[in-house]
Amino acid sequence: MTQVVQAVWGGILFGSVYGLMALGLTLVWGAVRLLNLAHGAIFVVGAYVAYWVTSSLHLSILVALPIGVLAAAAFAYAMHVAFIRPVLGKPGFDNATLIATVGISISVSAAALLVFNPEYKVVPPVLSGYFILSGVQITNQGLLVIATSLALFALVYLYLTYTRHGMAIRAVSQQQEAASLMSIPVERTYGTVIAISGGLAGVAGVLLSPFFFLSPNSGFNPMIQALIVTIFGGLGSIRGALVAGFVLGIFESVVEVFYGVAWAQPGVFLLIILMLIVRPNGLFGIGEVRRL
Amino acid sequence: MSSDAAVAATRAGPRLDEAAAPWRRVSVYTVGGVVLAGLLAPLVLTRLTIGAYLLTLLILFFMQAVVAQSWNLIMGYGGIYSFAQVALFAVGGWTSGVLVHSLGWNPFLAILFSPIVAVLAALGIGLPTLRLRGVYVVLLTLAFHELARVFAVTGPRFISGGGYGLVSVGTFQFGDAVGDQRTIYLYYVAALIFAIATFVIWRVIHSPLGVAVTALRDSETYAVSRGINQFGIRLVLFAISAFFTGLAGGYMTHYNGGISTTVFDFPRIIDLLAMIVIGGWGTFGGPILGAGIVIGLDQYLVAIGDYRALFLGLILAVIAVFAPQGLWPLIRGVYYKYLAPESAPPPLEAPPTAPHEGGLS
Repeated sequence: MTQVVQAVWGGILFGSVYGLMALGLTLVWGAVRLLNLAHGAIFVVGAYVAYWVTSSLHLSILVALPIGVLAAAAFAYAMHVAFIRPVLGKPGFDNATLIATVGISISVSAAALLVFNPEYKVVPPVLSGYFILSGVQITNQGLLVIATSLALFALVYLYLTYTRHGMAIRAVSQQQEAASLMSIPVERTYGTVIAISGGLAGVAGVLLSPFFFLSPNSGFNPMIQALIVTIFGGLGSIRGALVAGFVLGIFESVVEVFYGVAWAQPGVFLLIILMLIVRPNGLFGIGEVRRL
Repeated sequence: MSSDAAVAATRAGPRLDEAAAPWRRVSVYTVGGVVLAGLLAPLVLTRLTIGAYLLTLLILFFMQAVVAQSWNLIMGYGGIYSFAQVALFAVGGWTSGVLVHSLGWNPFLAILFSPIVAVLAALGIGLPTLRLRGVYVVLLTLAFHELARVFAVTGPRFISGGGYGLVSVGTFQFGDAVGDQRTIYLYYVAALIFAIATFVIWRVIHSPLGVAVTALRDSETYAVSRGINQFGIRLVLFAISAFFTGLAGGYMTHYNGGISTTVFDFPRIIDLLAMIVIGGWGTFGGPILGAGIVIGLDQYLVAIGDYRALFLGLILAVIAVFAPQGLWPLIRGVYYKYLAPESAPPPLEAPPTAPHEGGLS
């Protein structure tokens, strides 16, 4: 029983985080058609800024959280201005952005190594304390992560559905040329989407770092997991990211608890290969025409 | 067509499109000169005090260039974003390493099996992967890389060596040659592998297979509707690429006397990517040039230590966005200006382009 509760709790917790990372990836893919391999680097930027605010400025994590998130969003936007915008709509967009985002993530982890040395850092949790549920330790921080993730999914969904800017994003993602003829500023919309995606990665970075210690490369694994979640759920599908996050999180956790940690990652990879054979577009994948 | 133009066209006869057959214009003198320089290099270099060091650098360069060229073949020419290259290198290295280490084979015999097993592994990855598009290929090949790493670290003891990889694998022995003499022999073996790989990749690129691959990259829909078998062609290309990568892996295992699980570390992938991008993505000479630049610069970059990765990442990003063809066009320009046998304008080596979306112009 303890094991089952342990597996389900771990699954829901990590599922919600994977979902949060995947939400950012899927937004950018859906709107800009950009595979952002620097997503993990943005995660690290948010986490390190929050760490710096708490450790050097001795401010509360409640102050550090929004600062970290803003820093992550600003970093993503700067990346957009410097490296994505110059190649928008040009031939070779895929190649250029793929390599550029890989290059940026290398630079970020190298910079983090130089500034903060390779020691593991501890970002304080927003909430402390825990309670025991049938032998499993449930932390309040974990509950906060799950609630935040769900709330952000709801917010992003409402934003895309009901606000003018959200509608602009969907319009651009569906028919870029028609949208620009309706006088929607396409490049600025892209900038907005990338900044939002960066902010989401920043939230994940700050809230997750109390669980996994923070190191210059700690963004890589969440990014790979998010990539898997995004593809499992269907590229460009928000509902897919949410569902797939929990499905994969629980699957991984169950494998981990019952078969050992070494099998978790291979198990997930096997699952995604099976998924791609059965449903090449993922759970909620929507062809090539309609995205988001 | 007006009648004048028609007459002129008949008089000139059907002209061969130079860009379609660029191999016709390779100067025999250039190739001969490079081969001669390669053959004589060790004899000259061993006269220098740092000659042996330069020879080992050249050996390293040959092997890295082989892997970079193979990767460029599928990534730059094929447009298949595979990140399994390092894993295939490791497959080759481990195959040969295990044969020598556990079964006591001669390294020269064992290394012949490296490319074969690497090709089999490539077919294993390719069958589920190559029907898919860009992003999916990135993910599944990264997954393969990760699985290979986990297997190499935690697998059976004759493979993992307890988590460190294979140590004290038999190295190449040339009779009783030692010291500089042995380095020279090692150099010739490496140079031979490099020469064969370069020649085969050159021929592949300039064959109907290469043209089909480029067509698939530039306009998939069009190429497929002209009857090109996308999956089959990609699989063949993947296998060719894996063949030479595996061979290089086998060579490096016996050159170093072992293969460590650190080959799977991310910096290895980054160095190879940097070679391709700096030299010239999707160009023939780019990876060779890039390997030379990265290995040459590395001797100086040691001094700046941790800043190396920082700059390398930024250089990658800047070149990818602002000069997607890398430095190769520069060299090409010089070659056609001074060395080309004919004074025809250089053929355009088309950069990877997005398909044209209709439109009249």
